[in-house]
Amino acid sequence: MNPGDRVRVERAGVTNEGVLMPSSTPEHLVLKLEGGYNVGIDRDDADVEVLESDVYEVGEADDGSGEDDDGDESASAVEFDDDLPTVALISTGGTIASTVDYRTGAVTAQFDAEDVLRAVPDLAGRANYRGRVVANILSENMEPSIWQELAEAVHEEIENGADGVVVMHGTDTMQYSASALAFMLDTPVPVVFTGSQRSADRPSSDNVMNAVCAVEAAKADCAEVLVCMHGSESDDACALHRGTRVRKNHTSRRDAFETVGARPLGEVDYESETVSFRREYRERGEADLAVAPALAGDVELVKFTPGMDPAAWEYLDGKDGVVVEGTGLGHVHTDLVPRIGELVDDGTTVAMTSQCLEGRVCDRVYDTGRDLLDAGVVEAGDTLPGTAKVKLMWALANLDDPAEAMGRSLAGELQEQSRPWT
Amino acid sequence: MSDADREYDYGELGLVAGLEIHQQLDTATKLFCACPTERREPEESTRRFTRFLHPTKSELGELDEAAVEESRVDREFEYLAFDSTCLVEEDDEPPSRVDAEAMAVALQIGAMLDLEPMDQVHVMRKIVVDGSNTSGFQRTMLVGQDGEIDTSEGAVGIEDLMLEEESAGRVEETGDGVRYSLDRLGIPLVEIGTKPDIRSPEQAREAAETIGMFLRSTGKVKRGLGTIRQDVNVSIAEGARVEIKGVQALDQIDAIVENEVARQVALVEIRDELQSRDAEVGEVQDATEVFEDTESGVLKSAVDGGKVAAVPLYAFDGLVGRELQPDRRLGTELSDHAKRHGAGGIFHTDELPAYGVTDEEVAALKEFVGAGEDDAVAIVAADSETADLAIDAVAERARVAIEAVPEETRGANDDDAGTTRYLRPLPGAARMYPETDVPPVEPDPSEIETPELLTEKVDRYQSEHGLDAGLAEQVAYGRRMPLFEEAVDAGVDATFAAGVLESTLTELRRDDVPVERLTDDHLLGVLLLVEEGDLAKEGVNDVFATLAESPELTPEEAVEEAGLSGVDEDEVREAVAEVVDRNSEQVEEQGMGAFSALMGEAMGALRGKADGEVVSEALRAEIGKRT
Repeated sequence: MNPGDRVRVERAGVTNEGVLMPSSTPEHLVLKLEGGYNVGIDRDDADVEVLESDVYEVGEADDGSGEDDDGDESASAVEFDDDLPTVALISTGGTIASTVDYRTGAVTAQFDAEDVLRAVPDLAGRANYRGRVVANILSENMEPSIWQELAEAVHEEIENGADGVVVMHGTDTMQYSASALAFMLDTPVPVVFTGSQRSADRPSSDNVMNAVCAVEAAKADCAEVLVCMHGSESDDACALHRGTRVRKNHTSRRDAFETVGARPLGEVDYESETVSFRREYRERGEADLAVAPALAGDVELVKFTPGMDPAAWEYLDGKDGVVVEGTGLGHVHTDLVPRIGELVDDGTTVAMTSQCLEGRVCDRVYDTGRDLLDAGVVEAGDTLPGTAKVKLMWALANLDDPAEAMGRSLAGELQEQSRPWT
Repeated sequence: MSDADREYDYGELGLVAGLEIHQQLDTATKLFCACPTERREPEESTRRFTRFLHPTKSELGELDEAAVEESRVDREFEYLAFDSTCLVEEDDEPPSRVDAEAMAVALQIGAMLDLEPMDQVHVMRKIVVDGSNTSGFQRTMLVGQDGEIDTSEGAVGIEDLMLEEESAGRVEETGDGVRYSLDRLGIPLVEIGTKPDIRSPEQAREAAETIGMFLRSTGKVKRGLGTIRQDVNVSIAEGARVEIKGVQALDQIDAIVENEVARQVALVEIRDELQSRDAEVGEVQDATEVFEDTESGVLKSAVDGGKVAAVPLYAFDGLVGRELQPDRRLGTELSDHAKRHGAGGIFHTDELPAYGVTDEEVAALKEFVGAGEDDAVAIVAADSETADLAIDAVAERARVAIEAVPEETRGANDDDAGTTRYLRPLPGAARMYPETDVPPVEPDPSEIETPELLTEKVDRYQSEHGLDAGLAEQVAYGRRMPLFEEAVDAGVDATFAAGVLESTLTELRRDDVPVERLTDDHLLGVLLLVEEGDLAKEGVNDVFATLAESPELTPEEAVEEAGLSGVDEDEVREAVAEVVDRNSEQVEEQGMGAFSALMGEAMGALRGKADGEVVSEALRAEIGKRT
């Protein structure tokens, strides 16, 4: 008796026939009845008779080996159209391409980029696509090594003639990956991250509009690393955020992603398919393609909170870099200032950001701040704490003076002027 | 020829019927979030947003054909949200666990229907892409199976009981799609399906009434228009399974079944007749030129901006006009199919000349399409695209008429006769996949308590509270039954409570007092004030009228406002003594005989502030003193 078998189950005088489904609890058999309903039946009290084996393929969730497609390549081989631009679709897993995992009953990622094409037929006719899978992970499992692979993959796709790149990414850590690519890549074409907040297995998923708008943005003129996600709870337009200034600010809403400290850089209107920008951006072809994927691994982001155990700072000994998420203008408890001084003296680069998220740090206003500056802390301006961590990892591995770089913009992460209304 | 008065032998015809009953539950919160289950007016909406839906694969990798069909049209759905709407209803937050109160009520209903509860209830997503669910699916779960109810014509099996979320209410069609209101979305709904055990129209009605009685016995079901919907499945041996949707009134169910039997019998007769005549449906043709100079308004506008499409129905003469149900003919069926494809309807030669179409035009039409004496012709006038689609549908339906009674989904018409109209083909099996956001529920059957049935309440109200049979039934089946029981439990006299809740409120409504504004707290509060002697029974109407005018008042404040603050017994005695003084002559002459006359005057003097019994006692004593 295996999942996928057609069975007859008798329990307490009631007989049911249906397809056996994987169960997430050992005490219950889960049966899919004729009408489509799944029901759980106590295994111990049930009499089961297998009527037919393997009626359906409903095996345990795929491990991501991509073997579930029985080589059906032709279905995704889209005809090449000379008049259309070429867009590389790179998948890293995530909600935009996910399906049900029977072990946990939850949703897991197991599609590759070609499945996305099949899942989102609306993408057809907008571009010639090249699909590629860099990873198949939940985005909370993202690793810096995958950022590096992703940067190399994007670089290769552009080198091979892609007019734009769309990266399908889980939403949890999308802002970190987008920041990483923004620092690693000089790109002459758009690199657009997108994903979905509501899983692709629901008719209401935001994946279709996000993917369509991301492709439109990848064909447009802004050659930067962008995040393209719903601009409101309506299916009317996607916002385009600079990868280094964006933050997931809601756990579940479609419009969870927001540009911090300003309005989004641009918009894609779903109906008219027009892409528009409200500020300066780097234009297509302006940069020469280059990739610098090196990262320093030993960088920590530390959030200071009242009552924090000073011992928590001890494990920072010997780190290459530390980004502090301080309070207000960029502060920590006065007692911690000497500790930070020691870190700097030992050769650790310590950068200050603020847990206010909105606004820039300024350690010249209060004594604690001045003491921190004296101790050797560098200010990261209005750089978001998460972005600052990625930036410091990159700067330590690629620049001669990483401390100096934390105070200026490398990839739009630090705004020269505070103009939240723009 | 009408079959309205024909008697049918349902056993001989092989009538098989089943019911599907959908009932909204009156729980404190919705099925998957903590929002209230109250309905709102569209004008109260505070926000709106728009969405599109896209079909998805089930977990078995299958696409729902109906969903694909539906989504081919790119429709935009607009949703009205309220200050009582949350992100779950907007499909912007995962659902909460299954509402415990709704599950408890569903299990209770299951127990009354003698159903076996499932060991583990799994929440499923039933794909629905018409926009009525923001998610694109309806969450539904099979709670129990295999029950039974009794009817006077034998047992009727209950197939299953589902607990599911109500869809969003359709407000109106918009230019690009449909506008929905989110207040209704997520209200718990039970769906009860009987087995096809029903053998007569009366049994169908009795089964529906019995199930309805069980539902209302919980005291936890919504009342009023649209809160209960009955679907009826009907077939006869030579006919076909037909699903009739949306029967709103219980007392129409027998008529609906009767009419469907009549329709199927008539269609079988028409089929036999058509076959014996060697009937045939001809080729669809463009007959616009026949009507170039027509005086018929409908045809004229089609001639100007569209076309008149025609189909000859060979050997159909007289049968297109044959009645199937009161005032509904085979032609009406053809017309329904044309309407489904966007046309206004059809004309057919059995009903022409009429509607401005002349005898000459009918003759010309018949000649044009090659139809003779024994033939009929159906025409559709519309814009070219619609006319083509609609006339094809008409021709197809006419072809089917020669072969068989078609399986289909029909809708109950809004009439008293219990007629129905064609809606769409029968749906295929619904595509469902697991709702992964909600863990399964394992009901504990030992915690299910079955409520007292309404039939048992009627008996108890008589034996325990001394209500007469009529009033007992009125209260038990009325929507204020739970309030009545609460009042009686709190010590209010049962007859008084029943009278107030059933008669007084009805009287006030007739006097145009807006009694619908009175809340349960108002009603109970007033009953308790009377019980505690703080308000005279005679003042109840005035207090209700005051509360209905100013619902923000408490019952105590309303008593004050109505100038009915109680008078103590001394004041009563004083007032009574005054009345007796004024009428001392009459008292001396008649003694107790003056009581009735003076009682009215005394009550008037106290203007409803004092209880009649107290006044009567005081008056009796006062007269006694003087004689």
